[in-house]
This record gives sequence, structure tokens and C-alpha cells, in this order.
Amino acid sequence: MRIWIHKINANLHRYMALPAILLFGLFFLYPLAQGIGISLTDSNGMTTPNFVGLQNFIDFFADDRARNDVRITILFALGSAPLLNLFGLLYALFLDRGLPGKGFVRAVVYLPAVISPLIMGYVWYFILQPERGYLAHVLKEIGLGFLDVNWLGESSSALVVLIAVNVWQYVGMTMIVYLAGLQGIPADLYEAATIDGASRWGALRYVTLPLLYPAIKINVVTNIIGSLSVFEIIVALTDGGPGYATESLSIYILRMLYGSFTGYSTAVALILFLIILIPVVLFLRITRKSEYEL
Amino acid sequence: MNRRLISWLMCAVLVIMLVAGCSSTGSSTAGNTSNGENAAAANDTNVTNNTNDSATNEQKEEVTLKFFTGKVETIDLINELITKFEAEHPHIKVEQEYQKDASNVIKVKFASGDVPDITTVYAQDYVDQGKYLDLSNEAFWARVLPAIKELNTDIKTGKQFRVATNVTMAGIFYNKQVFEELGLKEAATWEEFKSNLQTIKDAKPEMTPMFLAGKDSWTLGHLIEFMAHGVIKQKHGVTDARKAFINNESDKLEFDAAGGGIEAFAGRLLELKEAGLINKDALTATYDNQKEAFASGQSALFSQGMWVLGDLLKLNPDMAGNIGFAPFPAIVDGTEPVVLSAEDSVYAITSESEHPEEAKLFLEFLFQPENLKAYSEFLKSPPAFTDVSADWGPLKDQAAAALETGVNIAFTETPSGFSGDDAGRMVQELLAGKYASSGDFAAAYKEAWDKAWSATNK
Amino acid sequence: MSPELRQGLKYLIGGMMVLISIIPFYVLLYLAMNTPAGSMFKGLFLLPDFYFTNFVDAWNGSKLGRAMLNSTIITCLAVTLIVFVASAAGYSIARYRSRLNLTIFNTLLACMMIPAIIITVPLYSLMKSIDGINTYWAMILLTAANALPLSVFLYASFIRTLPKEVEESAVLDGCTYFTAFYRVTFHFLRPVTSAVVILTGLGIWNNYGQAVFFLQSQEMRTIPLAISMFFQTYGAKWNLMAAAALIGLAPAVLVFLLFQRYFIKGITAGALKG
Repeated sequence: MRIWIHKINANLHRYMALPAILLFGLFFLYPLAQGIGISLTDSNGMTTPNFVGLQNFIDFFADDRARNDVRITILFALGSAPLLNLFGLLYALFLDRGLPGKGFVRAVVYLPAVISPLIMGYVWYFILQPERGYLAHVLKEIGLGFLDVNWLGESSSALVVLIAVNVWQYVGMTMIVYLAGLQGIPADLYEAATIDGASRWGALRYVTLPLLYPAIKINVVTNIIGSLSVFEIIVALTDGGPGYATESLSIYILRMLYGSFTGYSTAVALILFLIILIPVVLFLRITRKSEYEL
Repeated sequence: MNRRLISWLMCAVLVIMLVAGCSSTGSSTAGNTSNGENAAAANDTNVTNNTNDSATNEQKEEVTLKFFTGKVETIDLINELITKFEAEHPHIKVEQEYQKDASNVIKVKFASGDVPDITTVYAQDYVDQGKYLDLSNEAFWARVLPAIKELNTDIKTGKQFRVATNVTMAGIFYNKQVFEELGLKEAATWEEFKSNLQTIKDAKPEMTPMFLAGKDSWTLGHLIEFMAHGVIKQKHGVTDARKAFINNESDKLEFDAAGGGIEAFAGRLLELKEAGLINKDALTATYDNQKEAFASGQSALFSQGMWVLGDLLKLNPDMAGNIGFAPFPAIVDGTEPVVLSAEDSVYAITSESEHPEEAKLFLEFLFQPENLKAYSEFLKSPPAFTDVSADWGPLKDQAAAALETGVNIAFTETPSGFSGDDAGRMVQELLAGKYASSGDFAAAYKEAWDKAWSATNK
Repeated sequence: MSPELRQGLKYLIGGMMVLISIIPFYVLLYLAMNTPAGSMFKGLFLLPDFYFTNFVDAWNGSKLGRAMLNSTIITCLAVTLIVFVASAAGYSIARYRSRLNLTIFNTLLACMMIPAIIITVPLYSLMKSIDGINTYWAMILLTAANALPLSVFLYASFIRTLPKEVEESAVLDGCTYFTAFYRVTFHFLRPVTSAVVILTGLGIWNNYGQAVFFLQSQEMRTIPLAISMFFQTYGAKWNLMAAAALIGLAPAVLVFLLFQRYFIKGITAGALKG
């Protein structure tokens, strides 16, 4: 009997992930299975749905608005995810070097991530709105009124603004993860590297970055996911407009769901999943190889 | 260390269980709403069964009504009324749920079977699905303005599934002082309207003649709904026009007809843009900007509904005597100016409600003259009940005059996949120069409408 | 570069970082302290009207006190649950490669990428059938479940970087790998635990997408729902919204300040030497 209990105890660590998957299974996987079922129907949330196979997916690729949204979403992520990582890493390296009052700087840089992006998006609108925003007002006051261009009215410049605000909002989050990673690197490794005559850049390249890999991995993956599913910031700043010029796929999905295209919106959500999955898997594959090389 | 950790864990588990225990007992009275299938299958019988139930159990059983509203302005007022109601009927408890996005959230509610008893959200789709209780035989209809009763009548069945307590209007708000100073008159035709704006522009270059709030797409959607659809609505009359919209009778709607409402509207709007008669930032200005610009005298005129009045007076209380209200000018030659005069504050009881009698009791209570008077004066909206006289605001007489001069039109019942917001986004595209001609816009509008209509009318 | 110059540069960069992050918050504060009629910008520098009544009105108007309590209960309990469930899962996944663990990890990772909107309707039916609407426990379990993929991912990644010797010495002393985790390994996880608490805690504190459906009654409203009261059918009450947002921000900042002290250089490194 005691041996039996001991055996369970000795093996308990193998099953410690079970509570997590049970909880997750109930509140995500189980509804997800139903959701995938809905994506194969013409459900409108009211009448009995008919099975339509992959028709929703075919419709998606035939729709101009949908194709435009894919393009916008990818362009946004191409700008946003690398910049977030770059600035997050630079911020973390800078703060890790020891600066009087770094706790304060860290807290302030993180502040935007604390508040809802929707609210912050509206505040940015108060600042950036052409003609009436605070920025336009300041430019006018100091005689530079001609610089007040309609940034948010054109698809391409609006996209730049949206990316900048997104980086501003989440750079603190990226920084936090990098900081947590930097704390895990033993200081004596740097000492060893400096004794070996490595330059500061060399120490960064051959000591810091490889050891930071877990943090890099987390940040790149979460930033790809976050950028490709951008929602609130666009809603607040352009509401996807003018027209549908800055509409992201997440906004499209919600609008389709609320427009009674329930089955179709579910199918688009699955397509967005694939759009996110591909770069994430590629990144993990490529870096896993080099992780062992380093 | 280990012990401390385990104690924390136990503590957390205990608290969660406690919370779970408390709240599940709390919700069990409210939690047994019928499931969707049953109620849908046995629509009529359900009602009679429930009447019996509630009649026999009235002494013991406590009933909880869920009241689902999208009107944030009236939350506190309704809460006060609920308290009063609960005092009169101790066995009934009313829970008010407010949702910012009520008309969308209710779709998810219906789809998942969490259905409120009373709701302010009403859409033709749900009528067709039998989601609402028939209110045709209720006594209060004798007190409702005939025009409003007509608007509350379902086109397809001829029954009433909702009731409106108030009337709202929409038209052109203008600065009276500016109009008097420049000797302008309310415009009936498009030429007059445009020349009014031009006069304002010439005489007061710093003033924006007409202000559009294009960032908020619903404001542009309203232009379509009132001005463009106004052509269709006046041609066929209120009831036939409603029929045409609901059944998508394309021979009557003629969305893509050359010289029709949509095409004319698109052309007119572009005219204003080219002549510089609307604000430069028409695409990025917000509804707040629109109100501020008007209240501060920076713009002379804008299109809105009566709901804007309270905010205007808050922004500039001195303006009360200076706000003019006129019908929308006719955008197609040979047609009349129009003004929206339609239902406001509507209520419906869901057919899946387990307590329809109690729900009706609550509506009866809301419709008592003194409660309606308080409601109307609070909301600054004229009552739709003939036995209620409320002093609802400074535009009372002007509104009456506008209703005389303009053809009264109703809201448009759009397919749920092509809301006013969606139409507004198309107008944004139009202003951004995406359509080569007003004809292209009209064709695209028809396509979007038809697609959405067929999605829910299978 | 002279040391003084370098020091000066550091302050300059630090100052820039602070400034960029804080300007929009100043605008938020400006909005929160303006009279309802005065949301327009006047002058070069934003000098608010110091109209503090907004804070009082916001607090009373949306019953923020109650919302604060609800948000606190849900966030604290959900985060506690996450830390225990996710760290255990992360440990097992990082330390014991089995088909089961690999499947669990990949499933969680994949689900991180699935837009949650896809489960809106099925999840709603589920919440209704388990009587979870308008309850703390269901909201806690739900928000915790949603945060699990990220948390497990964080824990597993960081535990992999810890040397196995950490718990092996404890196992030699007679622990099982299970107890060794709680006795030893867990204490090395402070930086990542604080990251998990901060990241998931804020997500739950700001959760709107689920709360909007499952916390319907006014007594159960959380901060984001309370703030949404200031968005009206047409337009919004910006001043009150800004005031409410600032009030709702305060506890979140406090928690961040409390937990960020675990980012002290060398906790892990110093302990590992021993």
C-alpha cells in the first residue's frame, strides 16, 4: 500500500499539466469544437443552419473586402511585430544597465499597457485628429499649421499611425518579458565574456541573445498573435475607415458575427487562425534549429 | 515554506468554492429560463400555460423579469421606476441589463438561448422568427397615436409585437440668428438648400456652412436613411415603403435607378464637397465635434435627430432660442421635403419569456401617464400616448411646424447584415473618392443591400 | 565618451522614454479634469479646468465602487488559480517529455492563436447551461482558462532555462519531483511569476469581451463595463469616461509597482550559484 502511494507520488510530476488542460478544455476546447462545426454551416444565429461544407471559405477568398482586410492585417503586423520587439529589447537592455530611478522609468513605460487599448485609442484620437486634435492645435499655435496633414484619412498613412500607437501601447509588455529574461542571465557570464576579451557587442551577440531565447520566443510569438488580431486600437482611431480602408480581419469577423453571418464569421476566424499559425510555426522552426547551433 | 504554500492553495480553493456556492444559490431563481427549442416549438401554448402557472403560484413564487435595454440615458430613471414597481408588486423583481451594443448583443443572446423577458431591441428578423409576443390585444393601444401604432404594426402579419412610448424626429438643425442675419429661409428644394449654404460661405468665410461627422459612420448612414430613402418613402407612403424595404421589392426601391434617391443623394453630397460647403475634415470629425461646432457658432447647420437637443443645450444653454429645426430639402426635383417622425423608446416582450403576464404588468406600469410624463420630460422627447402631455423641450413648436411642412417618413428597416453603420461606411468611401460616379455608388449600394437581405431571408 | 556625458545621455534617453509614455496620460488627465463643455483645446499647454467633480460623478454615475470590488475579486482569484495551475503545467511540460505533455503544450500553444470570437455563441450556451452567468466562479474559471496558454508558455519556457540540478538535489534529499517543485523550483520562478501576474492580471482586469456577455446585472459589473456606461447610444461622455478610466487604472498600477520589485537583478543568478 505504501509502495503504491509512493509510486503515485513519484510519478505525479508527469501529470501536473492535467488540471490546466481540463480547465482549458471545458472553457475553450469544447466550445471551439462546436465553433468549428458552425463554420461549416450557413448559420445566421436564428434559423436552423444548413451544412454548406467549405462554401464559407470559398466565399471569403472571392470577397474584395475580405481580401483587402487580409492585406491590411498583414501590413499592420509586418510593421508592428518587429518594431515592438526591437523597442522592447532596446528598452529592456537600457534599463538593465542600471539607471538611477529605473523602477520609475519601467513603471511609466509599462503604464500604457495597463489601460484598455480602446480608451487609449480614443485619447490618441483626441491628440491626432486632423484639424481638431491637440497636435494640430499645437502645430497651429507655433505656426506650423501646414504640417497638420490628414494622417488618419488615408489608408497608408493611417496604417503608419495605427502601428505607432500599437507599439506605444504594448512596448511595455514586451519590455517586461525581456527584463524577466535578462534577470535570469547570471552576471558572472558577462564577467567571463569580458575577461575573454569580448566587446560589448560580442557579449550581446554571443551571451545575451542566446540566453534570452526563451524571452525572444515568447515576445515574437505573442507579438505576431497580437498584431495579427489587432482590434481595439483600430476601432478607436479609424473605426476601420474611411470606408473599409483600415479594417482588420478581427473587426471584419465581429461585424460579420453581428451582421447575422454567424457561420461565415466563424469560418473567417479559422482563416485568421491559419494566418497567425503560419508565421509562428515558421519562426519556431527556424529558431529551434539555430538555438542548438548557438 | 512548503506549508505556507499549501495553505495559500487551500485558501484559494476554499474562497472559490465559497464564491461559487453563494452565487449559484443566488442565480438559481433567475437561472431557469426556458430553453429555446421548447419555447419556439410551442409558442402559443406556452403563453397560456404560463398564465396558469403564475396565477396559481402568485402568492409564493417570486418572479424575476429580465429587462434588456440599449438606452444608457434612461438607466437611472428606469431603475427608479423599477423600485416603484417592485414596491407595488412585491413578488416581481425586475433586473435591468444595459448593453452599449444592445442590438448586436441580443443576436448572441438569442443564438445562445439566454433570452430576456422585455427588450428595447426590435428587428424584423426576430419578428419573422417568432421571437416576440403578440401585443395586438393589449388595452393600451387605444391611447397610442394612430401613426405610431401604424409604425408598430408588423408588415407581414398585421400584428403589433412592440410598442413605442415616444416619438422622435430628425431633420436639419440650423442657427436661426445666422439665417435671420443673412435673410435666409428654410430650404424646400435642393437649389435653395445649396444656395443657402453658399450665401453663408460667402458672407461668413470662417464659418462651416454644413457640418458632417463622418468618423461616426452612423451619422452618414442617417443621411442615406432620411434623405436618400426619403425619396422612396414619400413616393410610396409610410406603409407601402416599409413593405418594400422589408420584402426587398426592387421595383419600388429602385436603389440603382438613374436619378433615384441613392444616386441623387450621392451626386448632391459630392456637389457640396466640391463647392467646399461642408467641413474639410468631414471624414474624421466626430459627432462630438458636430455638436460643439454648432453650439459654439462655428457651423451654421447640420443634420441630426431630436436626441441631439439635450447635449446642445448642455454645451450652450443660451442657445435655446436660437436653434432652428427644418425638414430635409427634397434632393430629387419634383419631390417634397421630408422629416423623420417615428417611434422612439420601443418595448417588446419575448415569446420565450416564462412570465409574459408579469412582463405586461411592468409595461402597463411604465405606460401610466405620470411615469410617461416623467420619462418624456427627462428624455426631451414627445410622448406617443395621447393622454400624456409633457413639456419636452424648447423645440416643441418648431417641431410641430416642421412636421406640417415636410412629408413624415419612418426609419428604414434594413437587413441585419447591412445596418445604417454599413451604409455610412459606404458614404465615407464616397467622400474619400472611391466611386468614380454617383451611379457606381448606387449600384454598389444595391449590391450590398441585396446580399445582406438574402442572407437572412432564405 | 566621458562618464559625465554618458551619464547625461542615459538620463536623456530615460527622460524621453518617460515623456513619450506619459503624454497621452496627461491628455487623459486633462479630459478628466475639464468641465463637460470644455473638451476643446485652448493654449499651447494643456491646462485643465481642475473640475474634480468629474471624479465624483464618474464614481457615483457608474457605481465604480461596486465595480472595483467585482474586478478585484475576479482578478485576484483568477490570477491565483492561473499561477498554481500554469506553473505546475509548465514544470511538467518542461521537465518531463511525454506524448501527453507534448500534446497538451502544443494544444495550448495553438489555441493562443485562435481568435476567441469563434467560441462566442457556443461558450454562451455553455455558460448558461452551467448556470455561470452573473457569477464570480464561472467568470474566474473562464478568464483563468483563457489566460492559461500564455501562462503555461511563459512558465515552460523559463523552467527550461533553469538547470535540472535545482530539483535534483532536493530529490536526493528524499523529495519526489512533485514536491521538489513546490519546495525548490517554485522559488526560482519569481521573475516569471511576476510577469505572469502582471500580464494575465491586467488582461483580466481589463476584460471586456467576456464580461459584456456574462456579467449582466448591475451588481456584477466590472470596471470596463462600468466605463462603457459613458459611451451613449449617440456619442460619449468623455470627461466622465476619462475620470473613470483613471480611477480604474489606479489599482492596476499599484499591483504592477508591487510585483515589479521581483525584477531585481540576480535573484535567479545569485541563488543558482549555491
